[in-house]
Amino acid sequence: MRAPADSGAAAATPSRRPDIGAALETLRSPYRPDGTGARDTFLSDLTVGELILLEEVGYAPVEIVSGAGSASWYPQFTTAGTEARMWGEAIATAIAAARSGIYSEVSQRAAHGVVAMRLELERERANLLTCTMLGTAVRATGETGQKPKHREGPFTTSLSARDFHLLTRAGYQAAGIVIGASVVGFNARSAAQSLGLARENMELEAQTNALYSAREQAMAMMEREALSLKADGVVAVELSERPVNTMLTHAVELVAIGTAVRRGPAGHKPLDPTLQLSLDDPTPEVFSSG
Amino acid sequence: MEEPDPDTISGAFHARPRVRGAPTSNLSVAEAAAVRRVGLSPVGFVMGSAVMQLTSAFAGGGYGGGIGLAGGMGLGGVGFGGWLSSARSSGLYAESYPCVHGFGFGVSADHYGFNAENTALAGGLFEGYRLALARLSDEARELDAHGAIGIELSFEHMVGTSSTATFLATGTAVAHRGSAPLQAPFLTNASGQNFERLIGLGYVAAGMAMGLGVVYVQPNCLARGDLTVVGPNAQIPSAVGAARSRARQWLARSGHAMGEGVVHTEWTDSHFGRFGESWNQLALAVGTAVRRWSTELEPFAPRAVVSLRP
Repeated sequence: MRAPADSGAAAATPSRRPDIGAALETLRSPYRPDGTGARDTFLSDLTVGELILLEEVGYAPVEIVSGAGSASWYPQFTTAGTEARMWGEAIATAIAAARSGIYSEVSQRAAHGVVAMRLELERERANLLTCTMLGTAVRATGETGQKPKHREGPFTTSLSARDFHLLTRAGYQAAGIVIGASVVGFNARSAAQSLGLARENMELEAQTNALYSAREQAMAMMEREALSLKADGVVAVELSERPVNTMLTHAVELVAIGTAVRRGPAGHKPLDPTLQLSLDDPTPEVFSSG
Repeated sequence: MEEPDPDTISGAFHARPRVRGAPTSNLSVAEAAAVRRVGLSPVGFVMGSAVMQLTSAFAGGGYGGGIGLAGGMGLGGVGFGGWLSSARSSGLYAESYPCVHGFGFGVSADHYGFNAENTALAGGLFEGYRLALARLSDEARELDAHGAIGIELSFEHMVGTSSTATFLATGTAVAHRGSAPLQAPFLTNASGQNFERLIGLGYVAAGMAMGLGVVYVQPNCLARGDLTVVGPNAQIPSAVGAARSRARQWLARSGHAMGEGVVHTEWTDSHFGRFGESWNQLALAVGTAVRRWSTELEPFAPRAVVSLRP
C-alpha cells in the first residue's frame, strides 16, 4: 500500500530498503583504489546528514582546509569616545589572516568554496588574539552548484552545511566571509562608583555610548567589506562584545563575523517550510527549567 | 525469594559476553530504531581503554634515540638548539622566530622563539587511542558483531599528573543476522541515525581514520602577549597550521587505505600541557572511512520544516 503523497513523513519513506547484507559483503575484500586518483578520495568533517545536504545542492567534498591568524596589541590608555585603532585593527588583522589562509588552501585544491566552517577566537593572553578556521572545501559537481565566475575566486562562508544548503535552495550564493571589529574607549567611573560606594541607580552613559559607537563602526566596516564583494546582504552574523575595564583601560570591544550573500540570477526561491512537531526525545532543559 | 546464582553475579562484572543474557547498548531509542531499519541489531555495549605514560616535554632523554630529536632540553634554553636542528634534520616541521629585540640568553637569538614538531608526544597519544580502539574491536569480535557504531573517544589526565593519561573508546556492537562474520568488525563514530543515512547514500563504514599532529611552541616576543610587540605574528598561525597539516596528512593516509573518503571527522585543537610560556599545539582528527557499496541511492528528499518546539 502506498501512502498518499502529502502525508508528511510517510511520503518520504522509500519502498526499497537498503541492503545491509550487500554492504557488509563489500567489506570482505580489502579496499583497492580504482586508480583514478585523488578525484575519488575526499576528507571532510561533515556528518553524513551534511554530506547528503551538500550533494543535494550539487557540491562534493574535497578536503579539510584550515587557516589561522594571530595578532597582539598594547592595552591602551583610553578616554571617552576614542576609538582604539591599533587594538581594533589587530583583531581584524588576526581574523583576516585566518580568512586569507583558508582561502588560499581552497584555491590550491582547485575547490570552489568552503563550507561547514568552524571558527574560533582564542585569547592566549588579554592582548593576544588567535583566530582559527577549519572547514571542508567543496567542488560544484552538478548544474545547481555555484561555480566561481571568470576571474572570481572561490567563496568562503562561515555557514554550516545545513545553512549553506538552505541558502543555495533559496536561490542565493555565498560571496565571502566579512568582518567588522571596533574598540571604543570611555571615561573611568568616579572613585565612589568604582569602589562600590555609589548610592544611586544610574546609567553609565559613557559606557552605553561607547558600546553604540563600537557597534556602528564594526557594522560599517562589515558593510564596506560586503559592498566590495558586490553582495546583496550579510547573513549569520555572530557578534561578540567584551568590555575591558582595568586601571588605565576602559573600552568596549565588538567583533562581528558573517557571510556576505548575493541573490542568484533566478532571484529568491520560496522554500515553503512545513510546520513540524518533533517527537524526538525532549532536550533535558524542557524538564529542568520547570 | 530465590537466591541469585553467584556465577551470574560475578559474570556480570566481567566483559565476558557469553555470560550475558541480554544485549546491552548505549544507543538512544532513536538510534536503535535507525539501525534496526537497515537490518542491524545491537548486540552489546563495547569499550576499550588504555592508560599510558606520556613522554614529558622536559624529559630531554625522551626525545633522543629513535625519534631523532637528540640533544634534549637543558636549562635556560641552552639545549633548544639541538632540539630545533635535530627536528629539522629528521625532516620534521621546525621553524625559528628570532626575538626581534636580539635577546637570546647569550646563546643565539635564533633559538629564543621556535616551533618544533613533537613526534614523541604525538606517538604516545596515537598509541593510546589505537590501543583503546583495538580493544574495543576485540570486544565486538567476541560478540560476533559485524561492526560497532557511535564510537566516542575520550582522553583524560590522571588526577595530579599531566604525563599519565587514560584513553577510552566506547560504542555499541551491531550484527546482521544472516551474514557471516567479517574478518574485523567495522568501526564508526557515526551515530545510529547517521549510519542509517550512510547506508542509504550507498556508503558503508569501513573503519575509523585518525590523524594527529603536535608542534611544541616556544613563543618569541611577538607571540607571547605579555610585554608583546604589537602587530600580527606568524609563529602561532604556523604552529596551528603545521599541527593541522600533519593531522590531516595522517587522517588522509589512514582513511584512503580503507575507502573512498572520510566523513564525520571530529576535529580538536588544543594546548596540550603548558609549561610556563610554551605549550604543545595539538591537532587531533578522528573520522570514519567509508566505502561505496552501491551507486543506486535510496530516494531522499529533505523537506524544509519549522520546528514547533521553542
